[in-house]
Amino acid sequence: MKPRAASLLLMAPALLLLAVVFLYPLLRYGWLSFHASSVFTGLVPVPNGGANWARLLDDARFWKDAGQTLRFAVCSVALELAGGLGLALLLHRPLRGRGTLRALTLLPWALPTAVMALGWRWILNDPHGPLNAAIRSLGGSSYGFLSTPATTWFFVVLADVWKTLPFVALLLLAGLQTIPEDLEEALRLEGAGRFQILRHLTLPLLVPYLALALLFRLAQALGVFDLIQVLSGGGPAGSTESLALYAYLNAMRFLDFGYAATVMLATFLLLLVLIGGGWLLWRRGDLPGPRERAT
Amino acid sequence: MRLLVLLWSLGPLLWQLRTSLLRPEALVAPLLEGNPWTLANYRLVLSGDPPFWRYLGNSTLVALVTTLLTLLLAVPCAYGLQQQRGLLRWGVGLGLVGAAMFPTVLLFLALLEIARSFGLANDLLALSLPYAGLSLPLAVLLLRAAFADLPVELEDAARLEGLGLGQRLRHVLLPLLGPALASTGILVFLASWNEYAIALTWISRNDLLTLPIAIARIGGGSVFTIPYGAFAAATVLGSLPLLLLVLLAQRPIVSGLTRGAVKG
Repeated sequence: MKPRAASLLLMAPALLLLAVVFLYPLLRYGWLSFHASSVFTGLVPVPNGGANWARLLDDARFWKDAGQTLRFAVCSVALELAGGLGLALLLHRPLRGRGTLRALTLLPWALPTAVMALGWRWILNDPHGPLNAAIRSLGGSSYGFLSTPATTWFFVVLADVWKTLPFVALLLLAGLQTIPEDLEEALRLEGAGRFQILRHLTLPLLVPYLALALLFRLAQALGVFDLIQVLSGGGPAGSTESLALYAYLNAMRFLDFGYAATVMLATFLLLLVLIGGGWLLWRRGDLPGPRERAT
Repeated sequence: MRLLVLLWSLGPLLWQLRTSLLRPEALVAPLLEGNPWTLANYRLVLSGDPPFWRYLGNSTLVALVTTLLTLLLAVPCAYGLQQQRGLLRWGVGLGLVGAAMFPTVLLFLALLEIARSFGLANDLLALSLPYAGLSLPLAVLLLRAAFADLPVELEDAARLEGLGLGQRLRHVLLPLLGPALASTGILVFLASWNEYAIALTWISRNDLLTLPIAIARIGGGSVFTIPYGAFAAATVLGSLPLLLLVLLAQRPIVSGLTRGAVKG
């Protein structure tokens, strides 16, 4: 057997599983989205033309959730990039116990999202949570953080930032480590200050890593599910509901598989446009991609 | 500065520890008399039905099987991909990057249908199949980068010695991939330990739940009825293995994540 054919054979099992897990669901959703499959049809798919898609276009809840999801993703990813950059710069400096510090800052990222979301719910509990206890001990009165849309939204973003900031920081740390120290040293000898070095040397060289973190985190944040399901349940009054949660509710609570599949596919398409568009813009530009830089 | 960072990342966890050690009455209002500290929450969680260690065991089992399965599939795939040239290499590579970024919750419905039609729901080990599939993109990308770093002369020499493909992989290449295998394995282990949406929809039997679902269920009632002491104790118990893992395996985790950034 030719080596290339043999290596194709080596790839086959993994590619097969990948096709079942990633490709089949998308095709299946495409098919289901043109069928009614709900309790009314006894969960048997019945062709219904484009009724699901027509419903989607008119579905105020879907578009509201789309806006909310986008707002959540943009805000939390922006904060994560900014905070992650700060943390990466801190972890890059030679410190005593740097390894342990890195491990401990990484801990929030390693914990299950659902678990830490429930932890936040206790912190925000009205009236017994520690946050309200602190407010009361300062003379204030308890506040329903999770029954007010604005504060609920704020803490959903905060919890996401808390969990994923270490991950972003590590990606950027990898970028920092590729910058030769001589360059920094040379600039310093020329009399450049710390801020100038950051602006004219560090940041430009970090751009590929920032872009990678941005695209990756944006894709994940646009599919946010477990954090919101556990922390706020999408409430109050649906004000923190995300697209993925809406799709989940359609499938598991309203038992409307046809429409759930439509929502999921539509979410995927929105994601593809946003991320794919961003990716293309990045590739088109004169910025070096991470792969070129690595070789 | 360091202290601030530690406070930010550990503060909420330390608060869980404190909550888990307090008597329920002490959570609501400061006790006027008596000792507010207790281990009762831990006793409650550990003597539940099923006891808490059962969930720890379930998660560990699924995560271990997933890690093994993923590596078993990803190593040959990464090697094969590294041998490919042209359109196939480019296309598969791009597909893997796309799949690695894909928010997995969007896949749960079709996977649930598959599970139901093949009778895989409520089967703990069957969970490893979708988990391995979800982990494969990142694993293949990381391992391909590791293969690419090995000198070509090494394999050529082994080929001239008359070693077949399997022997070359087992005796020459894999021993050199140790660090990459370790960091890939740990990342896969963490991801499947923490997975939520698929475990939530596949498993309904109480004694088969994985840890995140079990803990979320403890807190599943209304906001007012959550037994927070017991929940906090469960969180602490569930976090300890991960704390240990992260502390012990800090180096491979960081190198895995950073390699993912450099090559991915």
